[in-house]
Amino acid sequence: MKAILSSEWLKLRSLRSTYLLLGLSLGAVLIGLGLALMAADMYDSAPPERRPSARIADLEEVLVILPQLCMGILGALTMTSEYATGLIRTSLTVVPRRWPVLAAKAAVVGLLGLVVGPATVFGTYAASRWVLGDRFSGAYATALLEKLPILTAISLTVPAFALLGLGLGALFRSTAGAIALLAGLVYVIPMIIGNVPEPWSERLGSIMIGALPHQITGDGNASSVYGSLLPPAAAAAVLVAYAALPLLGATWLLRRRDA
Amino acid sequence: MTDPPHRILYAVIELRRLTKRYGDTLALDGLSFAVEPGHVTGFLGPNGAGKSTAMRLILGLDAPTSGQALVNGRRYALLSKPMREVGALLDAGAVHPGRSAYNQLLALARSNDITPTRVAEVLEQVGLAGVARKRVGGFSLGMKQRLGIAAALLGDPGVLIFDEPVNGLDPDGVRWIRDLMRSLAAEGRTILLSSHLMSEMALTADRIVIIGRGKLIAATTIAGLTARYPSLEDAYMSLTAGSVTNGAAR
Repeated sequence: MKAILSSEWLKLRSLRSTYLLLGLSLGAVLIGLGLALMAADMYDSAPPERRPSARIADLEEVLVILPQLCMGILGALTMTSEYATGLIRTSLTVVPRRWPVLAAKAAVVGLLGLVVGPATVFGTYAASRWVLGDRFSGAYATALLEKLPILTAISLTVPAFALLGLGLGALFRSTAGAIALLAGLVYVIPMIIGNVPEPWSERLGSIMIGALPHQITGDGNASSVYGSLLPPAAAAAVLVAYAALPLLGATWLLRRRDA
Repeated sequence: MTDPPHRILYAVIELRRLTKRYGDTLALDGLSFAVEPGHVTGFLGPNGAGKSTAMRLILGLDAPTSGQALVNGRRYALLSKPMREVGALLDAGAVHPGRSAYNQLLALARSNDITPTRVAEVLEQVGLAGVARKRVGGFSLGMKQRLGIAAALLGDPGVLIFDEPVNGLDPDGVRWIRDLMRSLAAEGRTILLSSHLMSEMALTADRIVIIGRGKLIAATTIAGLTARYPSLEDAYMSLTAGSVTNGAAR
């Protein structure tokens, strides 16, 4: 298994697309910095009596979409690029048991997600906090320890996306299919669910990936565009399911399908 | 790095009533033959005869509908370090264009615990050492064929399987492959080589397996065929006359 891990690690780091997607992910921090600077400027130029009612979104939570998508695409590409080029047949010939190939890919993209997720989320938060200080009624001035659980939970959606992308890539064996579904899960499906009649809108909204971090930490964000019906343990289980179920299905298929 | 000689001596490919069906298409129909060590065995047949399918089944890429394909007496899927026993080149284009030749080979080598020194050796052997750090996307078909052959040789295997390796090679490259195949066979290895170039096959192979519509037509020596026909090409034409199909098996 160690041999296959080092092989997959080399495959990942020997392609330019990996560095491009890593760079784009980390770009979230710069965008966060820019947005925070603009917000600070607007806040400072607003009349003092209007300042107490000024609100700002949680930038790290908005911008996590960028590393989520990039790592999801990276996960998908590690599998679909092999199908597109035909390299997969060589990969499966040199590892005839097959499942270790997918497991090793999961380990390397999962680990990369585990680094990129906290780096971007905590990075964006730190940049915003540094720029905004106690503006916006102290939105970014809460004790760091208080923010730790939610920032961690948001960070963990990034490796989850990397594994989800890999699983979808291995299931569909097509880059376009996997990325379309990935983007659909982030943008399209939540919009559709928002327009479904209650109580289904809230029920389905609660299992959207974007809704999970606040349910995991149990700080039930009432203003959430999603639902918030799940207890922490259930929300954590749903996040794990997003990462694991497509991968398990793909492993099962990989062992049975002709390559 | 080199395997003990006894493994090379007994290396053999054996197909036992191998049958493969894709939907309605019967790609292989009870195909049986054995490939013995120490020879280059040419694998011939019209397009769609099932040559590539047979090779995919030998390598465990597709599962047989019935029958068996054995390498060294075992199913390929049961080999734990397969590159050390079997080297294969099925499709020279099956490489990521953005990866360098060296990294492409090193990734394969690592999966089977083969050293970077061996990667450098095979790159030298196939004449790609000078472009090892270049992206494969810029390679000509001939260079990709050499890279694919290098990948097959990485584990110094006793059994080698090549699907159309002379495609896209210049006369120089064609002669190089011929000499390489013959010297690999002379070392006691088992070589299964498919090609459509009859004159080239006559120069390279000493045994021939001809299939058509998934069935065995002939398994013999080149000498045996050329004794009965004016040339290998005439033998091939006459033997496969009834088996030429227009629809590929897959």
